[in-house]
Amino acid sequence: MSTPSPPATPGRLDSLKRVSAGPHPTSPDAIPESELPGPYPVGAYAAQLKRRLQEFARVQLAGEVWGFRAGRARVYFELRDARGALPCSMWQSDFDALGVTLADGLRVVVGGGCDYYPGSSTSSPSFSFAVSELRVAGEGDLLVQLERLRRRLAADGLFEPQKLLSRPLLPRTIGVVTGERGKARDDVLAGLGRRGWAGRLVWAFAPVQDRHAAPRIAAALRELAAVPEVEVVIVARGGGSLADLFAFCDEALCRTVALLRVPVIASVGHHTDRTLIDDVAAVSCSTPTHAAETAVAIDCRAARSDVAALARRLDGQARRAIVDRARTLTLLSRAPGHQVARHRRRLHQLLRELRASANRAADERRTLASTHLLVLGRVAARAAGPERARRRGELERLALALAAHDPDRTLARGYALVEDAAGEPVGSAAAAREAETVGLRFRDGRVTARVVE
Amino acid sequence: MTEERTYESAVSRIEEVIRRLDSGDAGLRETLDLVKEGRDLVEYCAAELDAVSSGLEELRLEELVTRLDRAGAETG
Repeated sequence: MSTPSPPATPGRLDSLKRVSAGPHPTSPDAIPESELPGPYPVGAYAAQLKRRLQEFARVQLAGEVWGFRAGRARVYFELRDARGALPCSMWQSDFDALGVTLADGLRVVVGGGCDYYPGSSTSSPSFSFAVSELRVAGEGDLLVQLERLRRRLAADGLFEPQKLLSRPLLPRTIGVVTGERGKARDDVLAGLGRRGWAGRLVWAFAPVQDRHAAPRIAAALRELAAVPEVEVVIVARGGGSLADLFAFCDEALCRTVALLRVPVIASVGHHTDRTLIDDVAAVSCSTPTHAAETAVAIDCRAARSDVAALARRLDGQARRAIVDRARTLTLLSRAPGHQVARHRRRLHQLLRELRASANRAADERRTLASTHLLVLGRVAARAAGPERARRRGELERLALALAAHDPDRTLARGYALVEDAAGEPVGSAAAAREAETVGLRFRDGRVTARVVE
Repeated sequence: MTEERTYESAVSRIEEVIRRLDSGDAGLRETLDLVKEGRDLVEYCAAELDAVSSGLEELRLEELVTRLDRAGAETG
């Protein structure tokens, strides 16, 4: 790169003369004894200077940004390095198109050339390097700085204190630090709405991406923490490049967060690199919505049903405790009668079983006896066969002998039987005489006869 | 020093109370005491939920500080 020679003089005298078009009617006299040409009108000189500066080669410069500010139509900042500095300016529209945020200390590369605003009788002149191109010098550089600072904060033990704070499950008052017109504000509200939370929300609005951001955010955090009602604080910002979020890597801000009495939930919307506030905060979330949901860790609607369920369980336990004990007492109070009745039922049962058992035994014995009788009968019958035949023969013989002595058979042969009045046989003549009247029984009937002699 | 009651500590204690009641080991007196304690805690939790369900109140930090200052001045 060729270094342009500095515009030490505005140029040749001839050109100034041309521009000035002759001595000015009100031009004062020259300085006596001076060897320098002129005097020339300053406006002509400034215009010449502007032209000469614009003739300088357009180049790219590298340095750190300081003192960024936005004017009406242009943005201004200084580009510095260890050996020098240059005021820079850029059309606001060109800068906005880049979509970057410049913070103090940020290394950038700018492209452009020298420019000079000659001013007027009512406005000040200014020199600037007119920037037409710009890029952040590399997040790599930022990351190196960031890492150095991170190690320093860690060594000071500043990552721990916030993590040790207890976070309420259901805060009544939540503080939020965010940009007043950022989307993060709506996201926080959406997250809280999703939890069904509708408590008290305290907004502490602060710039979230320029060089004033870090001290303003730190001040807002300190003020929120000073309010006893605030139980948790969300620091929220929408997404952006790491350069945009450099305010959240500010050492003083991070030290403030680390030592706050209230837990801080950080959500600065950078998905790939962690800002330092993510490290020192109690919790780091990827989105403001998530941060809001983390601040209210429960779903209020579900919690309401859960509490109702717990209340029902308690009531159930209370009722059961009373009813169970009452039932036990009732049982104990009627225990003697209950025991007697139980024993009576048992005895009846035993008795029924005993009877059934006895009947079964008798039946079995009866069946057995019948069987024995039958068997004995059969045995006896078998044994008594010849004897009975013999007896039957004897009986027939006796029957025949008896029949031979039957008086009816004698009467049948024509004899008569003499009987007294009583029917007794009259066996002699003397008995007949004595009886005087006898009966004579014949085969076919009886007649009465008187004994004459 | 008694620990400050919070929603989470209340819920945690209610669950502990119910576990004890469920165990069936608590006597009648203890049961009644536990149930009373549990009901108090349930009321507290319900009040906490009511406090964050009645309608979102949004205010700027400056408003809150002013309000607190005024309240402090009145009570002071």
